[in-house]
Amino acid sequence: MMVPVRCFTCGNVVGEHWEEFDERSNEGDEDPEAVLDELGVDRYCCRRMLVSHTDLVDVVSPYQ
Amino acid sequence: MSEEYDVEFVEREDREARFLVRGVTPAFANGIRRAMVADVPTMAIDTVRFIENSSVMFDEQIALRLGLVPLTTPPEGEFVEDDTVTLSIDVEGPDTAYSGDLVSNDELVQPADENVPIIDLKDGQRLEAEADAVIERGKNHAKHQGGVGVGYRHLQRVEVVDDLPEFEEQESQIVRGVIEEDGELVSTTEFDHDLSKRYPGKEVRLEDVPNAFVFHVETDGSFTIEELVTRAADTIEARATELEDAVQL
Ligand SMILES: [Zn+2]
Repeated sequence: MMVPVRCFTCGNVVGEHWEEFDERSNEGDEDPEAVLDELGVDRYCCRRMLVSHTDLVDVVSPYQ
Repeated sequence: MSEEYDVEFVEREDREARFLVRGVTPAFANGIRRAMVADVPTMAIDTVRFIENSSVMFDEQIALRLGLVPLTTPPEGEFVEDDTVTLSIDVEGPDTAYSGDLVSNDELVQPADENVPIIDLKDGQRLEAEADAVIERGKNHAKHQGGVGVGYRHLQRVEVVDDLPEFEEQESQIVRGVIEEDGELVSTTEFDHDLSKRYPGKEVRLEDVPNAFVFHVETDGSFTIEELVTRAADTIEARATELEDAVQL
């Protein structure tokens, strides 16, 4: 639904990077690896939080 | 404590640092690590009263998200257990509610990160809530965990054993962390974690420096690295004193 606030594994706050990551590598055409490096999301546990996330608010909101 | 420890920073930023501690036992190093993760109290939202929530998420889901937002934690002694700080949030759609929209009634307790999306609100949806933040320890809930990804490695010493035979191809020798070279600390990132790049044509041997540990510490923004480490040491002292008092006749 919404991006998790923290990484499930290590507890690092990853939510704050979602919008920039989404804009640059999902909407844009930048390399996700480079974007994550630049955002300072170093560990792979935190990286998968952003890479594997899909926003579902738009999908479920019509059924409210 | 009478013993002195030698602490030397290798990298130092606001929320991330790498430092070397000499003269501690492995047990004490691990004690510090565990204290940083589980025993340093931080502020986090614990109770949320919803006035209106017409978003696509349930109250309890939003309460969890609010709880996970790191809050700046006031200096030691400023707050004790059971003290609360009230934060309120009021956002109307179409808009996104961010952690930065939380309004605190205490200047010392503020969201440490302002860009965490809480909930995406569509047209006509609204989130209005009041939350109480409490000070607690990481062992009770991960939201109170101030230290993130805290770990340590032995400091390594490199010893050049011999020259490699002239026509032998050198294999890469990977090492991560920090190595000591004639008293100088060198992060392995400087040579791509590969000793064969640092010592071409040499046969080298690595060994742990006894009782020297390189800590890597990050915080979630509740406080600085210095605060986290000193508070962790303080909690160990407090527990040791408690134990001493308890076993005294
Ligand atoms: Zn992580």
